Amino acid sequence: MNEQKLRHIFAEVLEIPESQISDELTYNSIPQWDSISHMALIAAIDDGFDTMIDTDDVIDMSSFGKAKEILAKYGVEF
Amino acid sequence: MTLRPSAFLFGSNQVEALAIYLAALRTGHAVFLYDAAANLPFAEQLIELYRPDWIAGPTVYLDQIKGAMDEVCHLTEYSLSGRTIVREHPVYHDLAVLLTTSGTTGSPKLVRLSYDNLQTNASSISQYLNLNDSERAITTLPFFYSYGLSVVNSHLNVRASLILNNHSVVTRDFWELFKQQEATSFAGVPYTYQMLKRMKFAQMDLPSMRYMTQAGGRLDPSLVADFANAAAGKGWRFYVMYGQTEATARISYIPSELIQSKMGSIGKAIPDGELDLDPETQELIYKGPNVMLGYAKSEEDLFQGDLLNGVLRTGDIASKDVDAFFYVKGRLKRFAKIFGLRVNLDELEQHLEQEIGSELSCIEEGERLVLYYTTAESAEAIRERMSSVFHIHHSGYRLELIDELPRTASGKKGLSPFAGA
Repeated sequence: MNEQKLRHIFAEVLEIPESQISDELTYNSIPQWDSISHMALIAAIDDGFDTMIDTDDVIDMSSFGKAKEILAKYGVEF
Repeated sequence: MTLRPSAFLFGSNQVEALAIYLAALRTGHAVFLYDAAANLPFAEQLIELYRPDWIAGPTVYLDQIKGAMDEVCHLTEYSLSGRTIVREHPVYHDLAVLLTTSGTTGSPKLVRLSYDNLQTNASSISQYLNLNDSERAITTLPFFYSYGLSVVNSHLNVRASLILNNHSVVTRDFWELFKQQEATSFAGVPYTYQMLKRMKFAQMDLPSMRYMTQAGGRLDPSLVADFANAAAGKGWRFYVMYGQTEATARISYIPSELIQSKMGSIGKAIPDGELDLDPETQELIYKGPNVMLGYAKSEEDLFQGDLLNGVLRTGDIASKDVDAFFYVKGRLKRFAKIFGLRVNLDELEQHLEQEIGSELSCIEEGERLVLYYTTAESAEAIRERMSSVFHIHHSGYRLELIDELPRTASGKKGLSPFAGA
């Protein structure tokens, strides 16, 4: 449920099909995920899950898999 | 006969690229700097148009460039490829660097900068930033654009160090490098500061840090205040600056100790420069030894000398206070800054209108664009072009469907009903 929601946010912000999103999708590995869209992604995740992600986690959110791990720390269950 | 060679250099902030740039200057070549990773087909267009005598760049890209040349030499990850170009005239003797003006939007118009332009602007900058050889600037912007290049030139001018970096400030790699290499400063465009704000920059522990600069567009005054306060609390200096590629880089700055009292200003003229207003139009006019030779639109323009004689009409409308600090009020021409990229709104409108075959109007709203369009089915095509041609992320604009674009009496598109201010 939450995984699907997160996948949807990634697809929306990065403008890529959901099928392209796996745990291994990493920052800078596709032109759509650059520093600008990274910050848009953080903002969309904060909105969607009602979180306020810390600086360290902003920096560490380097893949879709990592995003799930980080969100788990904020009480989002996957 | 090659009377004076010109070169095309692309790549990123890597030591090879910097070495090639400096070697080109030392040997008196005129070098085009281009961030080709952004748009290779456009790099090919430029090469075809300006016919450089040699091309250098990362080997992986150079191999893909059409018309690559006979002789190739390799320098670790970079390669140089040369040929002999026959020209009717020599490339102008003082031409040093050519830079694009419009980010990645694909206008082949280049700014022609002289050796004297580079030297004088670097000297002015190192003077007002009070730089010495103990500085260690970490690069945050590609040196293929004027702001990034000015950081490189002003630091090398005083034999200071550069920490060559290509990572964004939102990555761990960046901050690890910053701390490990004890960076003393960085440069940022407005978007850099927006990201840093979200990352709670004011709470970061950066013992080696001395100063930071901001240029490349107007930074929201509330953010200027935030960073000025953060800097004051930490004993750092924060400089808000203004400039144009046409002036090599810098035109004006706010001395860091005055930042609180001159909020919203672009500052005063840099050392050796002068600022004034056109008495009729209030256009900001800059005079200084760093004003470009002129533009280039074709190979023939490389033969041209100085066409501006040190006087630059900035295209910005401004006012002046009693201390000779200037405040930009608006623009004569229609440019917007989106994520640090300069976007020519007229060009953008024309391109999109051609693409969708119906009318469209574009205005700047805060730090975003609003595109007013009249045919619902065009939305997808507009989004596609905004991404593939203009490289503007969709969070940088919004689309608004309307029945009809407003017109002025003369039949031109009238934007005032939307402009708000």
